[in-house]
Amino acid sequence: MIKLIKLEWKKNNIAKYMRGAVILAAFLCLFVFALAFLGIANDPDGTLDAAEGMGTISAPIELFTSMSFLIFTSVMLASFIVSAYKNKTMNLMFSYPIKRQKILASQMIAVWLFNFAALVVTKLLIYACVSIGSLSMESSFAVDFNMGSLSFYIQLLLKSFVIVSMSFIALFIGMIMKSSKATIIASFIMIFLTQANIGDFSLAGNLIFPAILTVVSFTFAVLSVFNAETRDLL
Amino acid sequence: MPNIVQTNQLTKIIDGKELVKNVNIHVKKGEVYGFLGPNGAGKTTVMKMLTNLWKPTSGEVWLFGEKLTPASYEVLKRMGSIIEFPCFYDHMSGKDNLQLHSEYMGYHTPGCVEDALEMLGLADASEKQVKSYSLGMKQRLGIARAILCKPELLILDEPTNGLDPAGMKQIRDLFRMLCSEYGITIIISSHMLSGVESIADTIGVINHGNMMKEISMKEISEMNTAYIELAVENTKKAAYVLADKLELSNFKAIDEKCIRIYDACIDTKDISKALAMNEVEINSISKKAESLEDYFLKLTGEGVRK
Repeated sequence: MIKLIKLEWKKNNIAKYMRGAVILAAFLCLFVFALAFLGIANDPDGTLDAAEGMGTISAPIELFTSMSFLIFTSVMLASFIVSAYKNKTMNLMFSYPIKRQKILASQMIAVWLFNFAALVVTKLLIYACVSIGSLSMESSFAVDFNMGSLSFYIQLLLKSFVIVSMSFIALFIGMIMKSSKATIIASFIMIFLTQANIGDFSLAGNLIFPAILTVVSFTFAVLSVFNAETRDLL
Repeated sequence: MPNIVQTNQLTKIIDGKELVKNVNIHVKKGEVYGFLGPNGAGKTTVMKMLTNLWKPTSGEVWLFGEKLTPASYEVLKRMGSIIEFPCFYDHMSGKDNLQLHSEYMGYHTPGCVEDALEMLGLADASEKQVKSYSLGMKQRLGIARAILCKPELLILDEPTNGLDPAGMKQIRDLFRMLCSEYGITIIISSHMLSGVESIADTIGVINHGNMMKEISMKEISEMNTAYIELAVENTKKAAYVLADKLELSNFKAIDEKCIRIYDACIDTKDISKALAMNEVEINSISKKAESLEDYFLKLTGEGVRK
């Protein structure tokens, strides 16, 4: 399985996505830095113009990283899997003596692993930037996290897990409609449907929503893989 | 195990449309099987079912003496195939594509990639991205990939598409060589008889999803060689002359006034001379040739009219 995942990365030109992820992370970092210290979200009079309950810095960090990486993951799933069906390289993959479920699963895991790692690293980078910045500058948002505590890291990992897994719902839609565009649009819609919650849910106050979301995501993941053996490739 | 590939009443229906209907194929081990049919006859559909990409609506496929099921994966190791047009990972080089293939197939003989590239004359282009390949080069690379893992069975859908005549000949020689030296069984589909005529041992003709005929090349050539048609007043006398004076054995009286002579070595001139000397009245004498192409068109043409 590990070998299959590596081969997936190799043939889909993972270096390209690596560059993309680095650029995205740098851009997000700059953006959050600007939000916190350069006052781009402030009203002209200098007060913070954020929605009710969004006055803490972790809210925009979670929101923007989640949004960006949900889309990034969907784009990758679309090009790894959905477009492989469309440009017939899936025909080739299915002519190998490897279980089809295993092939699909390896593709999904390849994307999932990459994005999970990228999202975690990006978030750590941004939080670290804000922490370092807040030592010498005044932040417009309240700095509400503590990088020294264990629960911070657990929350970060769990939230990243939920977000990256959510893209499987988009993949399922994309596979039904056989369209890369549908995959990406579905991920946008999911952001709109869930952003209010993702933006400010905390694991202490709201354990149920992310749990349900994860269960739904994996149900869709299984559904995408499950009948690969008997279904024809058209 | 006489037949390496066999199908029983293979039928595929998609959206209520019968793509192939009750197709029975018998391919013997070590032969080249030419699968002929006009465009849209169902060749690719059958080949997809042979390689387990599509599942039959009804009927069954037997490969290497085992029935093909949706969970048959091991059998794929023993096969190489090109279905429709070969597709590659465009941003990778030809060589990398083949290496990837051998990884997935679990085939690790050192040098196999280089050998395959060499065999198809792609050694020079092996480092270039597949993106930059021409149609013919991609087709060759597809063949290289199909033969890379030394399969026992090759299933090739229109493998000579996009190749120039010299390339076609080269590929045909390669197939012949693979068949005779490595004992590989090859199934080749084509819409042109000329594509398989010279290499196939057996030909299956399909049209509108129906198997029209499955016949060995030997039988065809016996049936359809060029012949001399002789119209005479008295066939008995003529036959006597042919057999006795000209020592011909391979001729047949078609009806009361017509004889067909299948011996290729005799000249019309000699026949007419001999007949005239023996006072057989000749109405006409002419050389006829029914080529394989005619035969093929006849088979598929009938189907069209129906």
